[in-house]
Amino acid sequence: MTPTRRRGLAWIAALGLAAALAAGLVVAASPPRPATAQSTPTVTVQRAHAGEATPALKKRIVVLTIGSDAGAPRFGRGGSVERGRADALQLVVLDTARRRGAVLSFPRDSYVPIPGHGTNKVNAAMAFGGPRLLVATFERLTGLRIDYYALTSFDGLTDIVNKVGGVRVNVDMNLRDTYAGAFLDRGRRTLAGHQALAYARARKTLPGGDIDRSRHQGQLLVGGLGTFQRQVAKDPARVLTWLGVMREEVRSDLPFPELFRLALLATAVPPRAINVIPVPGAGGSAGGASVVRLQPRAYALFARIRAGRLS
Amino acid sequence: MAARSNPGPRPAGAVGVATAALLAAVLLAAGCTSGDRREPAAATTTAAPVAPLRVQLVATARVPRGGPDARSAARRAAPGVERFLDRYLAAAFVDAAGGETSWDGLLGLFDTPVRVAARRQLDALSLGAAAPKVRVVRPQRATARAVILYGGRRPAAATVRLAFDATADTAQGSGPVHLRSVLQLLATGEGWRIAAFDSRTGPPR
Repeated sequence: MTPTRRRGLAWIAALGLAAALAAGLVVAASPPRPATAQSTPTVTVQRAHAGEATPALKKRIVVLTIGSDAGAPRFGRGGSVERGRADALQLVVLDTARRRGAVLSFPRDSYVPIPGHGTNKVNAAMAFGGPRLLVATFERLTGLRIDYYALTSFDGLTDIVNKVGGVRVNVDMNLRDTYAGAFLDRGRRTLAGHQALAYARARKTLPGGDIDRSRHQGQLLVGGLGTFQRQVAKDPARVLTWLGVMREEVRSDLPFPELFRLALLATAVPPRAINVIPVPGAGGSAGGASVVRLQPRAYALFARIRAGRLS
Repeated sequence: MAARSNPGPRPAGAVGVATAALLAAVLLAAGCTSGDRREPAAATTTAAPVAPLRVQLVATARVPRGGPDARSAARRAAPGVERFLDRYLAAAFVDAAGGETSWDGLLGLFDTPVRVAARRQLDALSLGAAAPKVRVVRPQRATARAVILYGGRRPAAATVRLAFDATADTAQGSGPVHLRSVLQLLATGEGWRIAAFDSRTGPPR
């Protein structure tokens, strides 16, 4: 072996030593590895499972939603929201077991008996005795037990819609109503607060007058449900956004736990399973005022709803 | 060239080579075997201590007009939500290992109107049917994001996204356990309760 080769071998050996030392030190300095799955045979402990559930509530829930013409300073409407006239009246009936429902849209001019106040337009009941008298009037009229009411004003409706980012509604006719400020084309549209309010209020230029208006109010409710569901599907925490808005803008006798459970249930009720049903009525007059007289078909409708037939 | 004729380094080089080879062999052997010496065999992995379960929670709060400051409200409510999630994961996974405890403790964490549905879907919420074959569950990661809704000055409801990863030891070996859930929580007089859920267990999709 030549000296050059020997020196080369010595260098290789020195390098090998350095590498070995480094490797040895690294390994020796490493903490003992914990006993984890990486060091043990991997087995399938659990196959994939998926599940979801919303609250199972009592079989039928009936909520009277009320739009008051008072308590809206931005619209020049003073007074207490609870003592105004109830100009938007929807009876929401939910079959919680079958996940379907009906929205009965009542003309505000429906001429009906009001407990303790003779016969009058139904919208006057709240002015006479607040939401509770209005609820009693509806219970007597329909034979349905009303579980809760939810009441808001013009300002409230506008704010609700704006705060949730608009409501998608199937506008069913071209609207050019200067009285209500409703200028909308037929079709599926996302309405801002002022547009939603105009759609809910437009009456004078509609062929069906008060009947068309009450149908539009029902469509807004169902559109709101669809918007709510789409938002919650993207972000489940949106439930809380809507609840927060409702708590700020809606007066109700619905305790918060029930409101929360109802909102969670509402995530699982398809909007197409909610029928908007205008309560049949015909224009007439009483004491010089124009009124809507409910037709026998209206009472037949109430009987069907009582029997659980919501379609 | 002088170095070539110098006989001194020759024996030193030879010694160096031999020493290096020896040291390398010893150190490599020590390094290669150190894990085996200190780490228990697969069959004895259950002897390693189980890390305590602690959910890492990031919370935000939605407060009403005139209510508390959102940031401090979130800070105030977070420990309660964290404790609740710790309880949930303990009942659903850690304490469920062995299958000797009933699920009543876990189901008690659900709001009454959703309890029946939860009982029917335990496999999507917990170890479920796998519990009896599991000896021990070792939590590895438990994280949650919560949005907490205040009603007045108290938390009223919360939406929680919960992720839990663990290793479960069985007689046949160990395997991963996963949970991914969205829980809707309701504040009740008895504390938080799960009012609705959308939950997955098993291998992540």
